[in-house]
Amino acid sequence: MNYTFDFSSIAIGPLLDGLFVTIQLTLAANVIGIVAGFVLALLLMSPFAIVRVPFMLFVEFFRCTPAIIQVVWFFYCVPMLLDVFLDPLMMGILALGLNLTAFNAEAYRASIQGVPREQRDAGIALGLNPLQRIRYIILPTAFRESIPVLLTNGIGIFQQSALVAIVAIQDLMYEGKTLATATYRPIETFTVVALIYFAVSFPVSQVVGLIERRRALAAA
Amino acid sequence: MDLDFTIVLRYYDALLIGLWTTVQLTMVCIALGCALGFVTALGRTSKNFALRAITGTYVELFRGTPVLIQLFWIFFCLPLILGVELSNFISATIALTLYMGAISSETFRASLKSVGSEQLDACIALGLPRSVQIRNIIMPQAVLRAVPTLLSNCVSLFKESALVSAVGMADLMFVGQNISNNIARPVEVLTVVAIIYFVIAFPITRAVTFVERRMLIRLAI
Repeated sequence: MNYTFDFSSIAIGPLLDGLFVTIQLTLAANVIGIVAGFVLALLLMSPFAIVRVPFMLFVEFFRCTPAIIQVVWFFYCVPMLLDVFLDPLMMGILALGLNLTAFNAEAYRASIQGVPREQRDAGIALGLNPLQRIRYIILPTAFRESIPVLLTNGIGIFQQSALVAIVAIQDLMYEGKTLATATYRPIETFTVVALIYFAVSFPVSQVVGLIERRRALAAA
Repeated sequence: MDLDFTIVLRYYDALLIGLWTTVQLTMVCIALGCALGFVTALGRTSKNFALRAITGTYVELFRGTPVLIQLFWIFFCLPLILGVELSNFISATIALTLYMGAISSETFRASLKSVGSEQLDACIALGLPRSVQIRNIIMPQAVLRAVPTLLSNCVSLFKESALVSAVGMADLMFVGQNISNNIARPVEVLTVVAIIYFVIAFPITRAVTFVERRMLIRLAI
């Protein structure tokens, strides 16, 4: 191999701008995913098939198609079908947010099912209405139980957010591609970009591992 | 606006060719990735520090970065480093195999852990060599227990394979986008492409649930 590395031509400024956009996307999508995911999980457990089935389809559709086609679909089809023209960043947030909602709903569903039956019965015995039972009994326990999976999904969406570069949102990946073409230094640029992504997601995945280990210890 | 889904039918052969590329790529990467994943999992549980460090770094790097950047890196940088031209299919295979290897190694690691330590003790007591321990005792149990998660990994890989369209490989996604750009009917074409992906991935996710419920209980492991 006779390639000389030259990291000096890589402007870190645009990359940081891109990282900022990526983080904005990730955080906004996570807010949508964490809130709407819980509501969706409750709807998925509804006793009425007419409520349950459409939302089940929604979840399965997001879980069984590539994220890239969801993003592209959103960008091309939502404006045409609904006649709404949103800012590209908003569009990206919506596409990623809905994707995350579907994945988080499954996580919440598992932990809602894990809330002991007696606690729900106690809620009924205390005369709490269904909304209060959700608010004071199910939500706190289920949320705490879901945290590791929510974090894993959240960091997954951070990585998936690189897809929006394909529809020309100027995130970290997009800035990296531009820089690689402008400087003719793809190896250096893509390596730096990959390391930036890694530097953000690795600590979070370590935190998830830590929480899981502590829980395993507490359970033992 | 008026939608006309019959227009997509005219391009069914092109879409089928794209789908065939996607399926081929996925199959090859599943086979290679599972093998790589198993070896990596053995490496991560080995006593040798260097082996653990190398496999650990590999897994964390590939799990901690977007697949898109892995693809870009291998498409643009690997040929420069190796000094040989790689075909699209080879580059995509390398990238997705490495990705599949990384996620599957975590699956195998968990299933290796679940093989009871008494069994290893029994192997030692019986004086079995390491290769026999792995091939006849550990591998069959670990692989069986890993099946449900491996199937989920296959679905992930199938979905992630759509990313190769971004580096210009003519898979289902790429063909779909091309057609939709050419006939200016994104709603119909992209929806059909999404449905094709769904039709393949959905039964596999159901199979995961089935395997978990039935097979593992029947085998009582």
